[in-house]
Amino acid sequence: MSNYWPWWAGAIGLALVTINYTLTTDRSLGVSAAWDRVLHWRSERQLERIDAQFTDDRALVEAFAAATAEQFATSPLAGATRGDTPTSSQEVGPHAGDETAPVAPLRPAPLVTQAALLLSIFVGGWVAAVTAGRFQLRFDMGDGFREIVTANPNTMISLLFAGGVLVGFGTRLAGGCSSGHGLSGCGRLRPVSILATAVFFGTAVLVSFLLWKVI
Amino acid sequence: MRTRGGVLVANIIAGLALGYTVANIGYGDYAELNRMFTFQDLRMLLAFAGAVVIIVMVFAVLRVRRAPGRIHAGVIPGAVLFGTGWAISGGCPAIPIVQVASGYLPALVTIAGVIVGMWLCHWANARYFHLDRGSCGL
Repeated sequence: MSNYWPWWAGAIGLALVTINYTLTTDRSLGVSAAWDRVLHWRSERQLERIDAQFTDDRALVEAFAAATAEQFATSPLAGATRGDTPTSSQEVGPHAGDETAPVAPLRPAPLVTQAALLLSIFVGGWVAAVTAGRFQLRFDMGDGFREIVTANPNTMISLLFAGGVLVGFGTRLAGGCSSGHGLSGCGRLRPVSILATAVFFGTAVLVSFLLWKVI
Repeated sequence: MRTRGGVLVANIIAGLALGYTVANIGYGDYAELNRMFTFQDLRMLLAFAGAVVIIVMVFAVLRVRRAPGRIHAGVIPGAVLFGTGWAISGGCPAIPIVQVASGYLPALVTIAGVIVGMWLCHWANARYFHLDRGSCGL
């Protein structure tokens, strides 16, 4: 049980992950946001499509402006343009975006990458458990949970589910979790993140004392 | 590294490293987590606080841009709910993934709960709260 990393190794590890992610992607690491976006993939896909449409439209307008300028500058024959413009406008629309879409600097990370983040956490956790010799398929949550919370499997399942609902609801309402608010947000000294971290940690301390001492 | 492929690679690296680190610190271990929250063992708390200190210093040196963050009405109630859920189930959104990966199968139930909770939050926000959280920009 005591083959966990010393605190300083954990601190360096967590810091490296957060800093590396922020510097390479120019975005903040947030696991609950990733969950949220993957769960609502339908609406997120739609947003991404609308976003692409916008860049398409912008490209279309620019293409028209360029074509108009070209026409007026080079060929004074108005008859030729009147015949060409409608068909070309329909062709330009879908294609222009792919080539000329400018990358907006602060768009949220693409949906696929967020799903990849969650899957990679699983793989990373699995590698860690196996290499440390901790991996063991089991139908309980360990001795700690049994002693501190409950030994009854049905109560355990209900509590895990209820706790999970609170975590899911709470992180989205607060706008972040221990990685988004705790690491990225506090690292950037955002007041909202420091407040959220203090409150969720303080509440967890209170509830843990209740579980441990009272019940 | 701001292209789609670059962001994908960065997310995979971050996920692998985060899962590996979180599992090796022991956040997936309910007994360890409870010892942290009741201050019986400061190891995991120091790991988290130490990480924040390092990040603050590195970001200050590199002058990383401060993302805007507004304190809206959902922050405190949300954090209270999250703290309660974390203490009971032992899971923040990343931890149950690591727990399942370590063989704790009941953590699948925690994940199901997280999913339901997030859906509920979306639904309740659209219907009752109408908070402009702007949270996905985190």
